[in-house]
Parts: sequence; C-alpha cells; structure tokens
Amino acid sequence: MTEDNNRDGRLYTDPWPPLRGDYQVGDPRSAVAVVTLASPLLIKGSAIFGQCVTENLGLEKIVANVISNCNIRYVIICGLESKGHLPGNTLLALHKNGIDPQGRIVGSKGAIPFIQNLPPEAISRFQEQVELIERIGLVDVEEIEALVARHKKEPYPGEPFLVFKRKAPIRAMAAGDADLTLGAGVVMDASAWLVMEEV
Amino acid sequence: MVNLAGVRMGGQPGELASVLCGTIFYQGHKIVEDEERGLFDRAAAEKLVARQGELSDETGCPSILHIYARSSEAFERYLDFTEKVWSGPFIIDSADPATRMAAAALASEQGYADKAIYNSISLATDEAEARAIRDSELDSAIILAYNPTQPGVEGSLAVLETGGAAREKGLLDAARDMGINNILIDPAVLPLGSGAGAALRFSVAAKARLGLPVGSGIHNAVSSWPWLSGKDAAAKRGCDAAAAAMQLLAAADFLLYGPIESAEIIFPAAAMADILIAEAVLDLEIEPVDEHPLHRLV
Repeated sequence: MTEDNNRDGRLYTDPWPPLRGDYQVGDPRSAVAVVTLASPLLIKGSAIFGQCVTENLGLEKIVANVISNCNIRYVIICGLESKGHLPGNTLLALHKNGIDPQGRIVGSKGAIPFIQNLPPEAISRFQEQVELIERIGLVDVEEIEALVARHKKEPYPGEPFLVFKRKAPIRAMAAGDADLTLGAGVVMDASAWLVMEEV
Repeated sequence: MVNLAGVRMGGQPGELASVLCGTIFYQGHKIVEDEERGLFDRAAAEKLVARQGELSDETGCPSILHIYARSSEAFERYLDFTEKVWSGPFIIDSADPATRMAAAALASEQGYADKAIYNSISLATDEAEARAIRDSELDSAIILAYNPTQPGVEGSLAVLETGGAAREKGLLDAARDMGINNILIDPAVLPLGSGAGAALRFSVAAKARLGLPVGSGIHNAVSSWPWLSGKDAAAKRGCDAAAAAMQLLAAADFLLYGPIESAEIIFPAAAMADILIAEAVLDLEIEPVDEHPLHRLV
C-alpha cells in the first residue's frame, strides 16, 4: 500500500481486506479479483484471489472485501464449481438480480443462497462497482493470469464501502422459564441460557 | 431417545455415551483415488473403519460411519464396501442432492434402509428431494437447523418448528411427512466469528424444547478458522478435541467429528466429556448405562 496509489487512504480500507478468509492478497492496486471456486489455484497479478465453496457466507466475504477496495472493477469467476452449493452460479445471480426481502439471492440454483450479513446498499455497490467475468470450469492458471493482465480500469469513483457485521437484535429475556434442573435449587432456561435459583 | 439399528441416542445428559460419527471418503480424502467413480484404497479404508470400531469397543462410545460421496456411482462402490466391513448404522451424505437421492434409493433397494441416516433435510430440500426421501424406505435423517433469514437460536428453532420466514412449513413436520421417524437435529455450525457459538446454545435449547437428539459437526468451526490454519498439527488437534468436548457439554448426543482419522483424538476427548458429565449428574438420579465410559474407563 502506498500513498500514491491509495490517495489519502481512500481507495481501499486500511487494513484491506477487512474480512479474513480463504484467500491471498496480491497487489491491492490491481483492478481484478479472482474467485477460484473449489479449485485451489495460485493466481499472480490480481488484487486478491481465493476459493469460495459456499453460496452464502463465502459470497458475503467476497462482496465485503471487493467493495472495500475501489481499485477492483472486475471479478473473474473460475475454477471448478462446488457441487450442490454452486457459489459461482450464485455470485452471478447476486450480481444480476440481487436479493429478495428475505435475503434470498434471486435466481440462484445453489442449496441455501441467502445473504444475511450485508445491507442492501452493499449489494447495490457490488453491482455498480464490478463487472463479473464468468469462466467457471477454467483451471488453466496461465490463461487466468492472462485474463487478469488484460483487464484494467480506473478506480470506482467513490469511497471504499466498509461493511459492518450485522448484530443480532438483543432480546429482553424473562427469567423464570426454567426447563433444566441443575440440582441444589438451581435451574436453567435452556433457550436463554440463563442459570438461576429456583423460585 | 432414538434407536438406530441398535445404537441408542438421546436421553438425559449423562445417561448414554456420545455417538461418534467419523467421515470417510470426504472431499480431499487421501485414500480416494477417483472421487467421481468412487475408486479408493480398500485396505486403507478397512483399516480406518476397523479403528473406529475398536475405539468404540474400548471406550463405550458407539459409532456411526459417515459416508460422503461425490456421485451416485461413487456411493454405490462405497456402499458395497461398507456392507462388508461395517455392521452398524451409516450416514448418507453428499453436497449433490441427486447423489443423496440416488443413495437413499440404493440403500433401500439393497435392504439397508434401517441402517441409513439421510444427511440432511434442510431449507435446501426441494420437492423433488422430499419425494425421493418419501419414496425411499429410510426413516432416519439429520435435520439441519440453518436459518439464514434469522441467525441465532430463535431463528434455528423457528426453521424447525414453523419454517420461519424462509419456508411455509417447519422442517420437523416436513421430515415427518417424508416418512422420517428418527429425527436428529444438527444446529449447523458456522465459522468462528460468523456465529459458531450459537450452535452450542441452540443445542441445549433444542434438546430441552424438542426432546430430540442433537449433534453437530463442530470440527468445521475449527477447520475454517484462518488464524489456526497457520499453527502446527498439535494446536489443531487440541482445538478439535476441545470443540468436541464443548459440544458434548452443551447437551449433544452425537458428534459428526469430521475425518475418520480424527478418531484417535475424538474418542478419548468424548469419553472424558461423557465421564465428567455423568459424574456431574450422578446425584440427580441419572444412571449411566452399563456400557458407558464411566464404567469402562475409570
């Protein structure tokens, strides 16, 4: 990361990528991210590359890490598709159709294609910021690297989008619904995981 | 309490030993030479299956063989192998629904429906898969309580009982409609940092509220932890054993403990957890069964 390429630190977050995962970081100034689906490939020249085998949490990490770097304008989807889960198909569907009010990715053929930790604005931003290059099945590293080298573009004109983890709503618990006995007058409300004295 | 081909599961914590399910032929398993066709090193597989059985006999923790197949062709070969080397229950599993459906049909045709456990019925189960399960003779299944529309304990219970926002009918009723009588609950363990801990609280809540056996593949939380991936094997084994014991303390009746090679660390950890739990409830008039690790190992 240099000041020239991350003017005033505004082209990508610091640290970048914000979310940990099964990926490797290359040059954050590159315009390309590479998703190798179920294939463990080493791709040179990209901003970030790595596998994605799930159609829900895995996709969320890709979106969050991509939109936090304005330099990334292309996502190459390559490698072998993860059977049943179909994250490649689901990423394409997310980019094309977005999600419905329940969070289901519209048009995905994956097993449980839901987004639960991204706000709708993050998905809109992903759709605007990047173009997907669909090469599912491609495992030839040289060919993928040539694709990476061919794709260049000006950074997205905006601030890096930082996704904050959605917190589960805090629910007021009414103590007293004890359904487990721990002995010596101590009971537990199993749903709330509250341990209390028997009244 | 359910009885799966002689393996009892459920009951009050401290009563029965934990049931331990090791996975064979999983994705990337070194003994598999061709995942699509199901070609594998038979001698190595036999050794692994036998070892799980030996550890069961030694500790008193019953075991189930968790068979993962990439294709129906592979499953057919794995089932042919299983019938020769394993007499207990087995789990049918695949990421591919077509393979799961074909496996259920094959297990029924070959007379193993009473030993087969379908993994899993979930939000992903569509009408075609439901029909295939209903048309098979299987009556045991794991229900995956994953609810991406409402993370956390309440959401997981909702998907089982009512379907929540994601499904019109609860998965429990849906499973019964498919002919499933022996229902096992899996809280669906997410990666650490994405809500893995909720599986532990859900396990206690689901067992107390539904009275059904509960268990998970909590090893997935360990194996998907990027920080741990850079550590040595001893650290990873320690975390695997600790996660297993924590899940058992959180009311689990069974563990999908991951690669069958992990049997060497999981059986001792589970037996120890079983003994501690049994001792903890002795004065609550909960008597461990004769074959419990409390009676065998201490």
